[in-house]
Amino acid sequence: MSQQIISGLQAGSWYALMALAIVLVLKATDVPNFAMAEMGLFPAFCIWTLVGPLEQSYWLAVPAGLIIGAALALLVERVAIRPVLAESHFTTVLMTIAMFVAINAVTQLVWGSVPRTIDSPFGGSVTVAGQVVDAEQLVSIGAGVAVMLGLLVFFRSRIGVQMQAIAEDRVTPRLLGVSVNRVFRISWALAGMIATVAMLLQGQASLLTDQNGAGLVIKGFVAATLGGFSSVTGAFVGGLALGVAENLAGDFISTSAKSAVALLAIVVVLTLKPRGLFGRARAREV
Amino acid sequence: MTHLPWFSTRRLLGGLIAVVAALLLLGLPGLVNSYQLFLACLVMTMATAGLGLVLIMGWSGQIVLAQAGFMGVGAYGTTSLVALGLPWPLAVLLAGLVAALIGVAIGLPATRLRGFYLAIATLAFAELMLRIFIEAEPITGGIAGLVVTPVVLGNLDVGGSRWYLCLGLAAVTALAVWRIGRSGLGRRLRAVRDADVAVGSLAISATRAKLLAFALSAFIGALAGAAYAQVLTYLTPHIFGLTLLIELLIVAFLGGVSYVGGPFLGAVVVIGLRELLQDIGSWQRLAFGLVLALVVGFLPRGLASLRSRIGAARRRRADTSTATPQARDVTAGVAS
Repeated sequence: MSQQIISGLQAGSWYALMALAIVLVLKATDVPNFAMAEMGLFPAFCIWTLVGPLEQSYWLAVPAGLIIGAALALLVERVAIRPVLAESHFTTVLMTIAMFVAINAVTQLVWGSVPRTIDSPFGGSVTVAGQVVDAEQLVSIGAGVAVMLGLLVFFRSRIGVQMQAIAEDRVTPRLLGVSVNRVFRISWALAGMIATVAMLLQGQASLLTDQNGAGLVIKGFVAATLGGFSSVTGAFVGGLALGVAENLAGDFISTSAKSAVALLAIVVVLTLKPRGLFGRARAREV
Repeated sequence: MTHLPWFSTRRLLGGLIAVVAALLLLGLPGLVNSYQLFLACLVMTMATAGLGLVLIMGWSGQIVLAQAGFMGVGAYGTTSLVALGLPWPLAVLLAGLVAALIGVAIGLPATRLRGFYLAIATLAFAELMLRIFIEAEPITGGIAGLVVTPVVLGNLDVGGSRWYLCLGLAAVTALAVWRIGRSGLGRRLRAVRDADVAVGSLAISATRAKLLAFALSAFIGALAGAAYAQVLTYLTPHIFGLTLLIELLIVAFLGGVSYVGGPFLGAVVVIGLRELLQDIGSWQRLAFGLVLALVVGFLPRGLASLRSRIGAARRRRADTSTATPQARDVTAGVAS
């Protein structure tokens, strides 16, 4: 039981990280990014190449992967997203789905469909409060918490406040001398790095495959929906709750029930509390 | 809108082209080899599924990403009902009704959702349907797959029967969707798309219009799925996954998502790309991703909008050089 909860928290941390990346981009640029997981999967495979075939140190490979993640996000933002930024969600959803498929295809072309294992330095297990916990699980959960706290601090910083101002109103901040494009770039680059962390953690705890992104991006969106899409803590708690609920359903009901949890969660939340468990209502414009 | 006289060279030419095209399509089994006929069947099937998207995405303006799943319901439903002894047409109808019911079931919570919330909910639903296709082994055969019993019409061979089946379904669906577009429902759907909140004051129930669109597009998706099963002759769950979804999006959007002719153009391009990049799934998917990105980024209203765009540019040039202000008013009136 408690082992199930810990595995749930581990998977939940990946969902939460993906949700945080999605919320960050949505908050700043109002783009629901369905390519978010693929934008992290490509750099995660780069890390595998560095650690595996090229035999570099893990501690060198991870920063390199993060830089690649940020660069890829900047590229996608500049080439694909900025031309359609003024359009409706209808257009941006289609554009990010196109990016999702295209980036996934490139990943497949480079690394094929063979599952890879990343040799991470986190082996063995530790005992916390009488409970045996894998080091890998501790790392996942710890990374999730750290990124969430980091984002909370970030949103209170100067650039973070500018970002939220731009999300509300694109014109006034510009008049006050805020560079909207700079804020967009920073938010996309940060989100790209967070997505890289999520895909890396999932890849090194289980297997790294070209299919990982498709699964995780939906979970990330569900977690963000639970959290109401505007709150960092909401998205984080939503991710953890989804992970734990999935694991318990898988354990107590059946493995097929596990895959239904995410859908059930999204239907229930969107029907009963469309702004999420932590979101606030907003007036609709005609 | 201008009315042409009942007899004009333009009308005559249009009619002539239509008759020749119809004859070509009807006589196609005698004109091409069996593989080309198979490709033509695929085009018709994809176009049919795309017509469902014209209804829901083009006219009612909702982002629904579950059409591949509805095709799966149609394909598996029809095949297993035929295996139970039902005649094919009845099996298709039943499978279609099941899909329509599922469509309404997704639609009920979804009518309260807008924009990308709907995209997430329908994408999650498509994932769930894929899981069900994998898990429901007694019906779908699971990963191992399911053999489809071919339908034979009269004394035609299997390939020929398949072609008339796909052609007939596509033609009937296109006609029906075209009629719906000109009916009150079509106008209501577009009104809901353009001013969701405002239509309430005109005594239009946005919810009812949206639910109908969900049911109809799911039904059409299932019809296309039934035909798809006939064409493929062998079903595995992953046929109805993400790649089919992106193909359907191209089918719907390349030609222009609000035109009934659009999906046919889109389907030709998608099947052409599949053929060109046959053995390499990744290149195919890369091409699909890039094509969709290009369409969304540069031609959001599809290739069909090119004509009116070129026309507008030409008119503008004519306006600035020769036309008097009066003449400009007249052309503007015609254009609208």
